[in-house]
Amino acid sequence: MKITYNWLKEFVDFEHSPDQLAELLTMLGLEVEAMENLGGGMDDVIVALVEEKRQHPNADKLSLCRVNNGTEVLDVVCGAQNFKQGDTVVLASIGATLPGDFKIKRSKIRGEESCGMLCSERELGLSEESAGIMVLPADIAPLGTPLFSALGLKDTLFEIGLTPNRADCLSVLGIAREVAAKLGLQVKYPSSAVAESDVRVESVISVNVEDAEFCPRYAARHISGCTIAPSPEWLVKRLKAIGIRSINNVVDVTNLVMMELGQPLHAFDCERLAGKKIVVRRAGEGEQFTTLDDQQRVLTSADLVICDAERPVALAGVMGGLNSEIEDTTTAILLESACFKPAAVRKTSKRLGLHTESSHRFERGIDIGGVIRALDRAAALIVELSGGSMAQGRLDVYPGKTEPTAIQFRPERANSLIGIELQREGILDILERLECRVSDGPDGAVAVTPPSYRIDLEREIDLIEEVARLNGFDRIPSTMPIARVISDRPSRHQQLEKRVREILVNHGMNEVINFSFTAPDAAGKLMLAQDDPRRASIKLANPLVDEQSAMRTSLLPGLLETVARNINFRSLDLKLFEMRRVYLPVAGDIMPREPVFVVGALTGSRDGEGWSRVNEPVDFYDAKGIIENLLGLLNIAGVSWVPDTPEPYLHPGKSCSIFAGRERIGSVGELHPTVQENFGLEKSLYCFELDFEKLVKLSRSKLEITAPSRFPDSTRDIAILAPDQLEFEKIIGCVNSVKAKEIENVTIFDVYRGKGIPEGHKSIAIRVRYRSYDRTLTDDEISILHKKVTDGLVNRLKVTLR
Amino acid sequence: MREQLEQLKNDALVAISSAVGEEQLQGIRVRLLGRKGELTALMKGLGSLSPEERPSVGQLVNTVRDELESGLEAALTAERERVKNERLQSERIDVTLPGRKSQVGTKHPITLIVEEVCEIFAGLGFSVAEGPEIEHDWYNFEALNFPPEHPARDMQDTFFVENDLLLRTHTSPVQIRTMLKQKPPVRIIAPGTVYRCDSDATHSPMFHQIEGLMVDKGITFGDLKGILTIFTNQLFGQKTGVRLRPSFFPFTEPSAEVDIACVICGGKGCRVCKNSGWLEILGAGMVDPEVYRHVNYDAEDISGFAFGMGIERIAMLKYGINDMRLLFENDVRFLRQF
Repeated sequence: MKITYNWLKEFVDFEHSPDQLAELLTMLGLEVEAMENLGGGMDDVIVALVEEKRQHPNADKLSLCRVNNGTEVLDVVCGAQNFKQGDTVVLASIGATLPGDFKIKRSKIRGEESCGMLCSERELGLSEESAGIMVLPADIAPLGTPLFSALGLKDTLFEIGLTPNRADCLSVLGIAREVAAKLGLQVKYPSSAVAESDVRVESVISVNVEDAEFCPRYAARHISGCTIAPSPEWLVKRLKAIGIRSINNVVDVTNLVMMELGQPLHAFDCERLAGKKIVVRRAGEGEQFTTLDDQQRVLTSADLVICDAERPVALAGVMGGLNSEIEDTTTAILLESACFKPAAVRKTSKRLGLHTESSHRFERGIDIGGVIRALDRAAALIVELSGGSMAQGRLDVYPGKTEPTAIQFRPERANSLIGIELQREGILDILERLECRVSDGPDGAVAVTPPSYRIDLEREIDLIEEVARLNGFDRIPSTMPIARVISDRPSRHQQLEKRVREILVNHGMNEVINFSFTAPDAAGKLMLAQDDPRRASIKLANPLVDEQSAMRTSLLPGLLETVARNINFRSLDLKLFEMRRVYLPVAGDIMPREPVFVVGALTGSRDGEGWSRVNEPVDFYDAKGIIENLLGLLNIAGVSWVPDTPEPYLHPGKSCSIFAGRERIGSVGELHPTVQENFGLEKSLYCFELDFEKLVKLSRSKLEITAPSRFPDSTRDIAILAPDQLEFEKIIGCVNSVKAKEIENVTIFDVYRGKGIPEGHKSIAIRVRYRSYDRTLTDDEISILHKKVTDGLVNRLKVTLR
Repeated sequence: MREQLEQLKNDALVAISSAVGEEQLQGIRVRLLGRKGELTALMKGLGSLSPEERPSVGQLVNTVRDELESGLEAALTAERERVKNERLQSERIDVTLPGRKSQVGTKHPITLIVEEVCEIFAGLGFSVAEGPEIEHDWYNFEALNFPPEHPARDMQDTFFVENDLLLRTHTSPVQIRTMLKQKPPVRIIAPGTVYRCDSDATHSPMFHQIEGLMVDKGITFGDLKGILTIFTNQLFGQKTGVRLRPSFFPFTEPSAEVDIACVICGGKGCRVCKNSGWLEILGAGMVDPEVYRHVNYDAEDISGFAFGMGIERIAMLKYGINDMRLLFENDVRFLRQF
């Protein structure tokens, strides 16, 4: 909503400067989003007096003037002839800049010095044409006053961001009412005195409202014999200041009055209305209509149309029709001022994508009590600007007129909810300044009837807000609530979410956050099977772009795209993770599931480059190591790694499912080379995916701690030759199957293939640590145990001792 | 014999002082004090002395031996110290080379802000609540007093799914879900991901909010002001000025926009605050009775406030980031700075 300072001042007489006004409006909830100085930058163009005028000695057509600028008398050379000694004129002083970036400098003209320039209206941008310089009334302003101030052209434009509840403030009048209420001033309404002819309006036109629900009020006036012409300068400028293009004297008046009073108006060319008749009805299904912007519109029965005796002539509250618009030849006008149902206007406007100043106001709701004021004001102005004669009286179809209902309001409730202690009189005074009618109600309550333009005031709470607002939010003391104690700590889910993030961060991983939506082909890029449930994603009905049209079912595509983007920027060593929701449709439920998953990706070198590092690339075991630590720290038991080619997007030989007991909790592996290619990645990448919801379920909060043994340990090493496919877990399992509590742990400390080892085999070095909790083990005891271990390996795994 | 002893002592002391290295010193010890050493040999000669001479010479022998032993010991200690110092000198390293460190990762800035805000409110007795991102229209709009066909719906450009589902446009539906589940007192903070179909330098189609809700007996608008003042002071520093100005949200009344004194210029006016000296950081208000009606609370019995803020906005202010897109590009050169 745009409004100017001077315009507002015509409606309410306040003392505030533009800056103070901006602050006042913002603190009333009418946020001033921008301010602009109109007629600014011309302060060096001032009112001056020609004290002496004589012929330029070297030029016939020039004169030499002595000009008083209020502080000194200057020599100025001038070429115009239309002024005389003693005239008040406009001086552009040295340093002034005129429109067109024309800078005034000290100069010599034909040998005579000139300290400035006497200006014409054209040079000042005040008119298109001008004969000679501008001669001002003698007493217009003290000498030296900037011209734009003297002419009242200096103004400030305010851009106000209005919240949708304040329909009443979509006009100069509305803002003026707010200022008046805040400052305790009176609003000055513009004149709407109408001179009418003897012809009764009913004898010229008629109005028939068929749908009073969608059109609660329809008023009209008739003006004949008018002349369509360009609008006068003041009207053009006023509209231009707030960004409205001038059309002609009639259309401009309807726009002006809409901006002044908030009531959208429409002028029809009455000669083109069949039957000189207005019918307000619903459109027929599929009915066609061409709006003012020359667009053919197809209507539905939900649209309200204004018709003449034969056809639609306007889309009610949205836009007029081409078939009845004001043209240069128009001589008779039917002026409409009506009230339409907000939801109906909104539906039509939204469906047609046609948002106008008019629909904007009707959608939010206009003042049904202000319909006539606007009609009369506009009609009077049209007569003033276009000549013509106005028919006597007005048509006003307003069948549902009812007395407004009063709101029961308890002043003490306002105090207790806001946290202030205003006197009852003070509270009622605020409501009365807002033009509410106030009278005593039962039980100390007050019956408050808001003015018709405040359609947002319907309940007690609405009035309480008004009290807080007008009294000033800054005058509400800041207090701390007195509250009952609630016992509530973060849920296990929340605690572990934080814990997992911290563990991964402590493993050198950077957290990323990608968009929740992906391209519909993301599943295809992962080579997921056609029947993979992750192919069934939730689709957006109105995505911004196709690449963001499906809610993700896996975090991996987003993460891989992030890796690729970073590699493009030459960040080659990456350890990234994301921990967010995925969105999975649920059969038989409209609400999808939103489980949290954790994905990680590692690529590039393990430790990064550095003087003390071996620059080795990451591999499967880096990814696995992180998960091992993670699961360990979450205290998840019975973890196993099953090489079952878990995912189509993973390398079949370098990947596995992760189980905790019988529950599959995720997967880890090298990215499949085809998928790697699909995402434009050159180097191998290792990734993992964990179902966080399962981690929460399986994580045990109870730790079992054992005291360490106080007796010495003893280690024995075994070297075996094993077939290549023999898995580490089998070896450990075989050792542990001896089931001796003296076996403290088993580690593999070397795996070797190559020289000296037969093809298809590997050499493995195993270290077994023995220790008892209750005594120092003897050599013999250890040897007996160790023999069981080695025998087990040889007999059950068929390995050879080396 | 006395002369011999004196001679021996003097010679030995000279030898000790001129010896080089521990080995030579040990050699001197053996030569003098060893089983076949010179002093040992002299001591054997004591027997040949007269009984009158014997005690005094014997004493002299002991004195000489003590002197030699302590002289040797001192020389050895000094020698060892010298050798140690020499070694320490030779072991000098370049301490300016970078240390060997295990890599440390980073949380995303959005996560950091969410955690910080939740921590501040945890200290005020608020617990964390969550809700679905794919939400039903009723929770996202209707129960929050956005009637169908109401212009207030235009304030939030919505992504629609189907079956009256949509991507939640704010975290406010968590208010509804919480109040339907529990009776007052309610004190929650609800961080979450939200969506609006809007995308440019200052709008992202996906972003994050934190919602707060407190409902109890006798809660006032002044209490809302108090809580938000404490919060902004803890988040942005003790002296951050706070300003509430009237605004509109369908689910609160009275409603307020909350501004803080610009953290960039301190309120003097700069590009970030568009010369106003104020930065809008959250929306708030007293819960509208219409909302209570939807969750079967009695508005005559209890009252409360709600507030919501954009995490990205706070992250940008706190970290001096001027382009929201940086937060979602996930460039590690950016992420590693947190």
